Amino acid sequence: MKKNITCLLFVLFVTTLFTGCNNSNNTFQNDNDTLNNAVTIEHTKKVKKIFYNVPSPIEMANVLHESGVQYKPEILISFKAVDKYVNVPKQALILGVYGSDLSYVRLFDQIQQSINYLSSIKKLTEDLNIPEEQGSFAVSRLENNMNNRDSLLQIVTETYSSANAYLKENERGNTATLIILGGWIEALYISTNIVDFDNPKNKQVINRIAEQKYSLSNLIELIKGYPNDKELKEYLPLMNKLHNEFSLVDIKYEKRDVVTDENKKLTTINSIVTINISKSTFEEIKKTITEIRNKIIIY
Amino acid sequence: MKKMFKKIAIVALIVVVPIMVNAQCKGFTKKECLPQIKPYVYNGQLNSAVLNEGDVAELLLTFYNNQDYRIFICSQELLGNTEFKLLDTDRNTLFYSKDHDYVKFWDFKSNSTQQLIVQVRVPTSEIKKEIVQSGCVSIIVGFKE
Repeated sequence: MKKNITCLLFVLFVTTLFTGCNNSNNTFQNDNDTLNNAVTIEHTKKVKKIFYNVPSPIEMANVLHESGVQYKPEILISFKAVDKYVNVPKQALILGVYGSDLSYVRLFDQIQQSINYLSSIKKLTEDLNIPEEQGSFAVSRLENNMNNRDSLLQIVTETYSSANAYLKENERGNTATLIILGGWIEALYISTNIVDFDNPKNKQVINRIAEQKYSLSNLIELIKGYPNDKELKEYLPLMNKLHNEFSLVDIKYEKRDVVTDENKKLTTINSIVTINISKSTFEEIKKTITEIRNKIIIY
Repeated sequence: MKKMFKKIAIVALIVVVPIMVNAQCKGFTKKECLPQIKPYVYNGQLNSAVLNEGDVAELLLTFYNNQDYRIFICSQELLGNTEFKLLDTDRNTLFYSKDHDYVKFWDFKSNSTQQLIVQVRVPTSEIKKEIVQSGCVSIIVGFKE
């Protein structure tokens, strides 16, 4: 019996190491089918790994800038508040928040403010034990490129992605998810607070907010991937509440052609979309976003 | 006692080895894959996993309207021609890399914001082997500012 257990353990080890002997019972083993054939009703059984991506603070801020909104620094969290955040989950959440605030001020070429936020972010990454070389952090680099918006983008991107990679590498995906959550909530908080629903000029930004319906679903799935994380678990009911409010946003697609340009290596997906969001739904979304943000922020 | 120690060692290896393999995979992504997404801006989220021959992985993400995106599939050479597809939420194929000589990256643009799926499949070796090949596969997403 004991011998059998040892054998079984050994087989398990070898299987893990070499990722499996050829066995027809293995769900993920091949059957010589092509990707086309793999996409069947059975596809879900074959998918070994599903990733969910949520727009980064940089991507979210970029969307805002393109929409032509105004700069309102008073709605941001002060970079000076960094010392109030002393435990890991809170530090991770506020790191995400600062990421969005930094991306926002950067878009409006507020270089000094960018440096201030970046310094606070640097402190947070140190507190979270993300090594400096991983964070690619160099405020001095930024200071040397005061007027270089692209260098700032480079530093912000490197910082965010390196922290994400480092945390996932070290089995701290829950902390990475808290950063993403904080960043997404802050970006949505900024968006909902810089627009006037009744102003027709703001229609594009309103639509952008409505479109977050999709990213919210991805974010909820991401959070659900860490069922044992106490902090993430606490946010789930509020995120579900937000999901219910977003479900009242009506987005209709009319599919058109898909054009692929071989020379440019570019595929353009054409469709016509109609977005309907009522003022009451918008206000409810804004209220819940503020509620979640208030849970993140320490006053 | 000796047997017990052996068992503990084996169990420890079972736990530790996958973590090590996974960490190596992410190291591969940072070193070999991320530099190649330029001049696009990396979206900052690491989507990498150790996959076996025949495995399928999917990435769900939102494409914003009129934003340029680059999808780059970075996999270890030993896995061969890793295929990828872009699917809509009804699972209609919008792009299939196999039709483009197993290209590693492609650019996309959508004129309306929508949720799309990047599906990756590791090819199957035609020669039946005892040991199934496995390696790192990363789905890297970049956007243009």
